[in-house]
Amino acid sequence: MCFKNLPIEFDAEGKPFLRAGVADPYGPSTATPRGAPAQLTAERIEDLLKRNGYIKDLDFDPVTRVAGALAFHTVADFKGRKVLEARSMATLFRGYEVIMIGRDPRDAIFITSRACGVCGGVHSVTSAMAIEMAIGCVPPPLGILIRNIALALEFLYDHPLHLHLLAGPDYSAAMVGPTNPSLLARARSAQAPHAEIHGFRTIGDLMEDLNPLTGKLYLEALHMTRVAREAYVLICGKYPHPQTIVPGGMSSTITLSVMNEMFTRLAQFFDYSKKLAAIWDDLTEFFYEANPAYKQVGARRANLIDTGIFDHHEAYDASYAGATAWGERRWATPGVIMDGQLVTTDLHALNIGVEEFVEHSYYEEWSGNGQRQHFPTDPVGNPLSPYHPWNKVTKPRPQGQNWKEKYTWDTAPRWDRQSMEAGAYARLWNTAVAQKLPANPFIEATGTSLKLRLPKGALPELELEWKVPAVWNAFERNRARAYCTGFTALVAMNNWLAAMDRLKLGDTKTSTPFEIPKRGEQRGVGFWGAGRGYLTHHLTLDRGAVANYQILTPSTWNASPTDRWQQPGPYEEAVLNTPLLEETEDPAKFKGIDILRAIRSFDPCMPCTTHIHSDAGVITREVNTCACGVDDDGG
Amino acid sequence: MRVIVAGVGYRNLRDHSVGVVVADRLLDRSWLGDVVVEDLSYNPIAVMQRLEDEPPERRFTRAVVVAAVERGNRPPGAVRAYRWDGVLPNDEEIQRAVAEAVTGVIALDNTLVVTRHFGGLPDEVVVIEVEPGVQEFGEDFSEPVAKVIEQVCDLAVAMATDAAAAARLPSTGLGGALPSVAGNRLG
Repeated sequence: MCFKNLPIEFDAEGKPFLRAGVADPYGPSTATPRGAPAQLTAERIEDLLKRNGYIKDLDFDPVTRVAGALAFHTVADFKGRKVLEARSMATLFRGYEVIMIGRDPRDAIFITSRACGVCGGVHSVTSAMAIEMAIGCVPPPLGILIRNIALALEFLYDHPLHLHLLAGPDYSAAMVGPTNPSLLARARSAQAPHAEIHGFRTIGDLMEDLNPLTGKLYLEALHMTRVAREAYVLICGKYPHPQTIVPGGMSSTITLSVMNEMFTRLAQFFDYSKKLAAIWDDLTEFFYEANPAYKQVGARRANLIDTGIFDHHEAYDASYAGATAWGERRWATPGVIMDGQLVTTDLHALNIGVEEFVEHSYYEEWSGNGQRQHFPTDPVGNPLSPYHPWNKVTKPRPQGQNWKEKYTWDTAPRWDRQSMEAGAYARLWNTAVAQKLPANPFIEATGTSLKLRLPKGALPELELEWKVPAVWNAFERNRARAYCTGFTALVAMNNWLAAMDRLKLGDTKTSTPFEIPKRGEQRGVGFWGAGRGYLTHHLTLDRGAVANYQILTPSTWNASPTDRWQQPGPYEEAVLNTPLLEETEDPAKFKGIDILRAIRSFDPCMPCTTHIHSDAGVITREVNTCACGVDDDGG
Repeated sequence: MRVIVAGVGYRNLRDHSVGVVVADRLLDRSWLGDVVVEDLSYNPIAVMQRLEDEPPERRFTRAVVVAAVERGNRPPGAVRAYRWDGVLPNDEEIQRAVAEAVTGVIALDNTLVVTRHFGGLPDEVVVIEVEPGVQEFGEDFSEPVAKVIEQVCDLAVAMATDAAAAARLPSTGLGGALPSVAGNRLG
């Protein structure tokens, strides 16, 4: 029984159905999320601001060191050292869904890739998978293996980038010094427990080398992004927008020489992963020990969702009917974690529980007002909400900003009406707890942890163990992402070995021919993942052209606004729970470092979130909705 | 003297494709001197790494960088050529440029700032900017930009091959906050 809010039950065979006697099963009052935190009302916040001089607006516009255009509004109580209101704003409309309408579905592989300048390949693969499902095209084993390796390499670009170029500076001496001088002083004399792995004697030394632009860890991360890119382009042609991903596999020519060149680069990530885990273990434990209140920075309920990723080459059949089976054989298990407990690993259950709401978003409702729900069920007869992506229609409606009404270009995706978080860490958590990982020599899921056996490099062979955390916060997100680098490298290694076996057998086939049907209606969904987690593309074809295309990215989940039930989105919830631990008494000197740590720990990617297009044309950098002056005129 | 002529921009984005189109047009040209033409329209960190790959004795001594840049203080099709003085913004702005670089933003200012900060960019940098008129999908230029594109190519060739001409350009900050170059006002 994985649904607690939606009236969906399961029969003896495990098939979901809508509970009988519910007149409006997806009505807002039928299924109200229970136990979720709620934002204070706008009226209450206005009252507090008027009556208390120590309560002030604190805005971050833009939030820097994130991908794309994100603004964040808070109301902070400088006396109580807490945040009273948090509003996440995607300030840029893109609208890839609108661009895709009427096109040949194969265009989606190249067009949706442009949704992101970090990880375009994930969109290419997800769209290829949606097409494969719609037209019934199954890639050959080597095609699946190479696709897995390619996308693992993309994540090996993404994780170091986030850890040491975007989030890392928040923990550097250059940042900690001005905001928390006593903490930096303590760090300078704190021995680093894992010095033999990462090479830094004290936490202070480590913080120095996290300094932006000059720190060795910052510069090393820049270098490692190159190593990953070099390996990636061997099979994908170019980065970040691959040229070799096709429905039915990959168009790359794979030879032993390509495999070997790729391996020399992949192998560099074994040692680097050991260092990353050691660094983020030491940093995290240092902060916890220095002040246990850091455990509250970015804290929220452990409600996580992930589609799983990296298909087993003997399991994936591209069908929706088979998704439960092939999903559970993935190298990263799909799943939903609710309040820290795994509630499903079934891609069907995951899919039918997804809804997207736009009450606080610059879009028009597409449901209701007598409009037909296009698909009442999924392809195997399971019930679907009118708010499900296969039923969603993107109807942009720019307007003024108002917390009571609309304030972002992001939508509010919910699963079972709950605000869910996506991330590389959901990948680890599901996989660790579900224990459905394919047999392999490198990664072991114990039920409470993931053991990662990283081969010898310049550093000796090392077994890392990522443990399901007791608290869920900004530090644990970063720590998990560090471990996920090792996990990803080992998934790539497993797939590399399997691909070598195929090549030794003389199997060099990487793709399956296909034709786009010119008649009838078909639909498909790509269940895949970005470096930041959950990614789906829901596709409907009509007579060979795209009739509907819906992209749901990790940052769409994470940056989502407050929903119709006043339930905040994940960034908002995490910031509302964040204590202000900065050592300044003067609000004018306040940098908001704890709030920024909370937000950046999610690895925000706003270009993906709002997927750049307007009626007038393509926008490459322009931010077209400013967060300044919000509510000035109430609309 | 080894020169790189580089285009920076986006393909199929009408006026914003100026840098890419100029690089394409000059690619097969035969050069008298040691001139390399490349499309550097990608992550500026990768551009820095590509420039640093040149062995010390083969490092470029001058870069001629062509791009469409919307400054908003000049009419569409206006061409501005200048020697970049190489003065970098503050560290916070450089960090922002790096963050934009690694997350996919391709822009002239970012490319120059990042490659100057981390190394790889020659000391002598000639920038040729064209003010775009339109920003939308498509292969063709707007009329004001189409009128100047051949002349922009000629100017890039002159700046790559004529050291004295390059040296006569004004030395300015990014954007060339000076009037258009006398004698090079095109269109």
